[in-house]
Amino acid sequence: MAWLMLRRSLTRRRSRVLIAVLAVAIGSTTIFALALLAIDIPRHMSQDMRSLGANLIVLPADGSPALSASTVEEIKGVLTDSEVVSVVCFRYANVRLNQQPFLAAGTDLAQAQKAKGYWDVEGDWPDQPGQVLIGRDVASLIGLAPGDTVTVTLTQAVTAADPTDPSDQTDPDGQAPEPPAERSARLSVRGILTTGGNEDGFVVMDLSDLERLTLSFDLVDIVELSIDRDSASLAELAQTIDRQVDQVSAAPVRRLAHSEADVLAMLRSLLALVAVIVLALTLIGVATTMMAVVTERRAEIALRKALGADQRSIAWEFQCEAMVLGLVGGLLGAGLGFGLAQAISQSVFQRGVAFSGWLAAVTVAASVLIAYLASRQPVRRATLVDPALVLREE
Amino acid sequence: MFWRMLRGALTRRRGGRGLIACTTALGASVATALLGVVFDIGDKVSAELSTYGANIVVLPRGAAVVGDLYGDDQLAAGRTAALREDEVAQIKTIFWAFNVTAFSPFLDAQVTVTGVERPVDLVGSWFAHHLDLPSGEHAQAGLIDLRSWWELEGGWIADQDTDLALVGTKLAASQGWGLGDRVTLQGAARSADFRIAGLIDSGGAEDDQIVVPLAQAQALSGRTGQVDRIEVAALTTPDNDLARRAARNPASLSVSEWETWYCTAYASSIAYQIEEVMTDAVAKPQRQITESQGTILNKTSAIMVLVALLALAASALAIANLVTAQVMERSAEIGLLKAVGATDSAVVRLILAELTLVGLAGGVIGYGLGLGLSQAIGWTVFDSAITPRPAVAALVALGVAAVVLIASLPSIRLLLRLRPADVLHGR
Repeated sequence: MAWLMLRRSLTRRRSRVLIAVLAVAIGSTTIFALALLAIDIPRHMSQDMRSLGANLIVLPADGSPALSASTVEEIKGVLTDSEVVSVVCFRYANVRLNQQPFLAAGTDLAQAQKAKGYWDVEGDWPDQPGQVLIGRDVASLIGLAPGDTVTVTLTQAVTAADPTDPSDQTDPDGQAPEPPAERSARLSVRGILTTGGNEDGFVVMDLSDLERLTLSFDLVDIVELSIDRDSASLAELAQTIDRQVDQVSAAPVRRLAHSEADVLAMLRSLLALVAVIVLALTLIGVATTMMAVVTERRAEIALRKALGADQRSIAWEFQCEAMVLGLVGGLLGAGLGFGLAQAISQSVFQRGVAFSGWLAAVTVAASVLIAYLASRQPVRRATLVDPALVLREE
Repeated sequence: MFWRMLRGALTRRRGGRGLIACTTALGASVATALLGVVFDIGDKVSAELSTYGANIVVLPRGAAVVGDLYGDDQLAAGRTAALREDEVAQIKTIFWAFNVTAFSPFLDAQVTVTGVERPVDLVGSWFAHHLDLPSGEHAQAGLIDLRSWWELEGGWIADQDTDLALVGTKLAASQGWGLGDRVTLQGAARSADFRIAGLIDSGGAEDDQIVVPLAQAQALSGRTGQVDRIEVAALTTPDNDLARRAARNPASLSVSEWETWYCTAYASSIAYQIEEVMTDAVAKPQRQITESQGTILNKTSAIMVLVALLALAASALAIANLVTAQVMERSAEIGLLKAVGATDSAVVRLILAELTLVGLAGGVIGYGLGLGLSQAIGWTVFDSAITPRPAVAALVALGVAAVVLIASLPSIRLLLRLRPADVLHGR
């Protein structure tokens, strides 16, 4: 009997029911979309940021020579594969181009291209050994353009941990220093590199080319890691590397982590505020609709009361009605909200969001709860209807 | 007759009109707040990102090439080029001076410290230097703004301090120095005593350095009035194709392109303008910083704008929903009107006139509330005020009017189709 009444009351007043369901659906769509975004944005954002430079730098510890290839493997061993976005190793040496002294950096160029999203290359990235990138300042000083060929002559290997420290000039292999300015290689210029930083004065070549010049193999001066972690756990990781790997010193790049966290906090508080506004609007919308429903059905309520229905059964009916509306609206909202979050995420990050089952469940539950809360005042009004007064008006 | 009915409708049955007014007020305030936020998001995010540090570095022309070269004795002479300290303030006179949020000159020197074997890097800089600009305005420049992420044990020092220094935590730890200890620094020109007033934890090179006021570093190294580099933090527009072409070669642009570029706050155009006001200087945008800022700025603004628009759409729908519901309340009254012979057009005119007046009142109140709400959002989310814009008022007025009218159309149609007898009978 109760179900029959509930079904009747829902189907008979279609426009009202539609409006209430719409109110709940709009609210839950927005809130579900916001929640999905709030969860996924930090992940997407940090992935995008990771292609814009390293956030952990590993150098040889004070007084240690350059890192060996096995040390680099040890460092990688500390990390789990999934969190490593990129690892780029650099080796430095002093060279001369056209009798002008410059710094040469040797690296795995394919890795560098992936990790150094901010390197602006005019021309092309080198795709095989024998090709180099020339820093902008170098290029303008000696007049080089992509396609030119240049002779690079070694003056002496730089082995210092910090390439700006001129005091440390011992050969990494412990051999006697080679007589300077004798070994040279002809390399073709593939592109001109602009970064605004030190690299503008560098000649960037494949590590194998630099090793052939310096005749010292499997050594690196600096390891730049891009790791998908927040700043706190990054500092922990740096300490772990310091502890577990000998003769290295790891330091997180704090400036990057700091700003990123600030902006994400800003974004989250905006999402939260918008959610609150939408929630309030939904509550008002459902409450008004339920109030109208109750007003409209005063006569019916009065009649049922006169026939002996108690207050609880009347309250129960209205609350059930509201909660069914909430349920339908919530289910609709969860579906639409996922689509909306997906669309926003695709348009901004070119990546979708992950559907979260428990979040969808929470959204539907919240919609039912909101419908229940919004209907409390109207229901109280319904139970206070005085049958005698209302029925006399008829 | 029409006016009397309208007045009657407005003054009697205040509850119903009140509800519509409240609804429009609600819609207008949410729209005002969110639109205000949408228009300000770019500025706010980029202001937040300026704590990122310097995105333009100014170097003496010679040093731009030679500065990073080392390990070669012939080059030691190459570093004599320097910028002039008296020109540093010029940075605040360029076209985009307003976008320069922080800057500071730096002088690097190596000093020997009594009791320390290896030479120590000394950095001289401004902390909170007061500038009187030619325009009569005042500005402040220095590390306190430029290095806002430094974690400092102790406190900042002032530019006038002659015997206070900040020391990097790594250096202090390796030498066993603590706050209040005294160190004697021997520079190229003379030596001086300093008291350690703060320990810097920066996560960067400064952890191994000593930082003193610029004047002290100049005196120690005998380079009065000289500066090695200036770091500038500027609010910049993310690079686009034009900016990239201009950065490579400003001469390749046509006149109108050049004007667009010059008058847009790209890192490259700000750098160009700095070069214009300083002698023999090269200003280099730091691509790692500007690109990171650009990425964060573009994505965050896009997300925020989309979210705010989403909220706007949701509120518009919610408001439309409410208006529809409330217009439908009037069925009994409209039924009576029709029973006594009102034409359809008269009914429509009455309802629309009533909605317009009530909506106008609600809209004005809502706009006022919305200004307050937008400031509340500004301070909670961005820690700064949202600029009130006339464009927002116009958009809100148009938007609210459209939403209310469109929302009332279906219910008006429904009312017109009512048969008076049915309604009055209460079915």
